[in-house]
Amino acid sequence: MRRLDPLTPDEARELDALERALAGDPVDPDLRELEQLVHDLRATAPEMTPAFAARLERDVADGFPDAAPRPKLRRPRRWVLPAVGVLAAALIALVVVLGQNGNDAATFTSLADGSSPTVTAAAPEAAADSAGGAAASKAAPAAPATVTANGSAGSARTPAPAAAVPAPAQPQALQRSDAPRKVQRSADLTITTPSAKFETTSDAVIRTVDRFGGIVAASSIGRQGAHGEASFDLRIPTGRLDDALAALSKLGHVSERTQDLQDITSSFTSVQDRLTEARAERKGLLAALAKATTQGQIDSLKARLRTVRATLGRLGAERASLQRRADLSRVSLTLRGVKGKSGGATTPGAGDHWTPGDAAHDALRVLEVMAGVALIALAIAVPLGLLGLAIALGARSLRRRERERALDPA
Amino acid sequence: MAEPVNTSTASFDALYRDSARDLYAYVRTLLGDDASAEDVTAAAFERAYRRRASFDPQRGSQRGWLFGIARNAALDELRRRRRSAPLVGELPDEDASAPDEEADLAVRRTTVRAALAALPPRERELVALKFHGGLSNAELATVLGTSESNAGTRVHRAVMKLREACHAPS
Repeated sequence: MRRLDPLTPDEARELDALERALAGDPVDPDLRELEQLVHDLRATAPEMTPAFAARLERDVADGFPDAAPRPKLRRPRRWVLPAVGVLAAALIALVVVLGQNGNDAATFTSLADGSSPTVTAAAPEAAADSAGGAAASKAAPAAPATVTANGSAGSARTPAPAAAVPAPAQPQALQRSDAPRKVQRSADLTITTPSAKFETTSDAVIRTVDRFGGIVAASSIGRQGAHGEASFDLRIPTGRLDDALAALSKLGHVSERTQDLQDITSSFTSVQDRLTEARAERKGLLAALAKATTQGQIDSLKARLRTVRATLGRLGAERASLQRRADLSRVSLTLRGVKGKSGGATTPGAGDHWTPGDAAHDALRVLEVMAGVALIALAIAVPLGLLGLAIALGARSLRRRERERALDPA
Repeated sequence: MAEPVNTSTASFDALYRDSARDLYAYVRTLLGDDASAEDVTAAAFERAYRRRASFDPQRGSQRGWLFGIARNAALDELRRRRRSAPLVGELPDEDASAPDEEADLAVRRTTVRAALAALPPRERELVALKFHGGLSNAELATVLGTSESNAGTRVHRAVMKLREACHAPS
C-alpha cells in the first residue's frame, strides 16, 4: 500500500472534527460544514428492506441452514506443528550424534583389539588372491622379469609392487633364452583363529609344513590375555607351495594373503657361466702346470690355481644358494588368536552370545538408518514445502491484487 | 494473557445485531444495487458464521474481521461484473414528496448521494466504510491492510473530495 504524506495540522483538525461529528460531539464553529456533511452521509446510508432484514435474521437464527454444507477441516492447534517439527529435528540430531559416537567407539575397539577394519575387509580379497596367485604362479616360468601376484592396493598390509625385489640386470650376452627358468616364490599369510583354538592351530601349522616336506626356519609364539600371536618363517618345496598354502589357509580365517614371484634365472645363469669359465681356467692352469719346467713358472701357476679354486668355491656356494631359493619357497605365516567364535570377526561386542551391548548396537544402527531415511525425506519435503508455501503466498497476493483492481475505474 | 475467543452462536448473534445495518449500507454503497448488496451481505454473514472459530482477536476487532470478509465478497462481485456501481440511478426517491421546509435538507442529501456516487470507487468505498459502516480508523486499517494513520489520511482526502463534489455546480 502506498504511503501517503502525513496530514497538516489543519487537516488533522478536520479529521478530528469528522470523528467528533460521527461520535455526536460538538465541533468548532468553522467546521460546522463538515459536521453537516457527516450527518448527511449517515442519513443517506442505504437501509435493508424489511423482507431482506427478516430473511437474514432468520438465517442467522437458524445457523444458515440453506447454505451448502462444507466439509469441516479440523485444524491442528497452533502449537502442534512447531512442536512436532522441533521434536523431529531433536530426534534426528540425537540419533546422528549417537550414531557418530557409536562409530567412534567401534573404531576404537577395533584398534584396541589390534586389528584394523581393513583386516576384516581384506579377507575376501585374500580369498580372491588365492586363485589369482595360483594362476600367476603357473604363468611365472614364461615371465621374463619379476612378477608380483600380491593382493589389491586396498589391503593395508599388501606390499606395493615396488617392494618386490627386481631381477638383477644382466648383460644381454649372458642370458640364454633356452636355459631352464629359475623362480623364487614367497608368500605372506595372516590367519586368525578363536583364542580357544590358538595352540592347536599353531601345532597344526607345524604338522602341515611337515606333511608337505617343508621346514620351520624360525617361529615365535606369544600370548597376552585372550589374544595370542605366533609367527612362523617357513620353507616349503616350491612344487608343493600352492597345495601347502591351501592347507594352511584352511586352519583359520585368512585375513591377509599375499604372494610374490621373482625370476632369478639371469642370476643363476650368470653364476653358472662364471663357474664354467672358472673351471675351464682351472683346467688350463693344470695343463700348463704339467708342462712347467722352471720353479718360477710352477709357483706362479699354483698361485693362480689357488685363486681360481677360491672363485670356484664361492661361485658354487652362490649357485647352491640360488638353487635353494628356487627349490624352497619362503612363507611368512602370522597366526592370531582373537576373542570370539568366528575368529575373523572384529565387530565390537562380537562374542559367543548376543549380549545387551549387541542389542544396543543393533538398535543404534536401526535408528541411524531411520534417521538417514528421515533426512532424505526432509531433503525432499522441505524444498517442496517451501515451494508450496511460496506458491500459496504468491496466489494469495495475486488474488488480493485482482480484488483491489476491481476498484479501479473500468 | 489474551482473553479466550468467544466463538459461540450467542457471540455471533451479538455481532450480527451490532453490524448488520452498517454492513449492508457499506456493501450497498459499494455495489450500487439492492439485489447484489443483499446477496453479498448474506454471503458475508454466512462465511463469518462458518469461519467464526478462525477469528483471532489479536489481529483486530470482530467487526473489522466481518467487514474484511464482506469487502472480499463485494470485490469478487465487482470483479464479476467489472463495472462500477451506478449509484445515482438507483437512489430511492424518498425525499420527492418532502414538505417545503424540508426541501433544503432533501436537496442537500440528494446532492451528497450524487457526489458520493460520482467519487472514484476507492474513495467511495472509504467513505462508505467510515460513515456508513461506522468503522474506526483502526478497523479501517485492518480491513484495508494498511496503517491506522494512513487510513485516517485517506479518509480525510476522500471527504475533502466529496465536499468539493458537493459544491461543484451540477
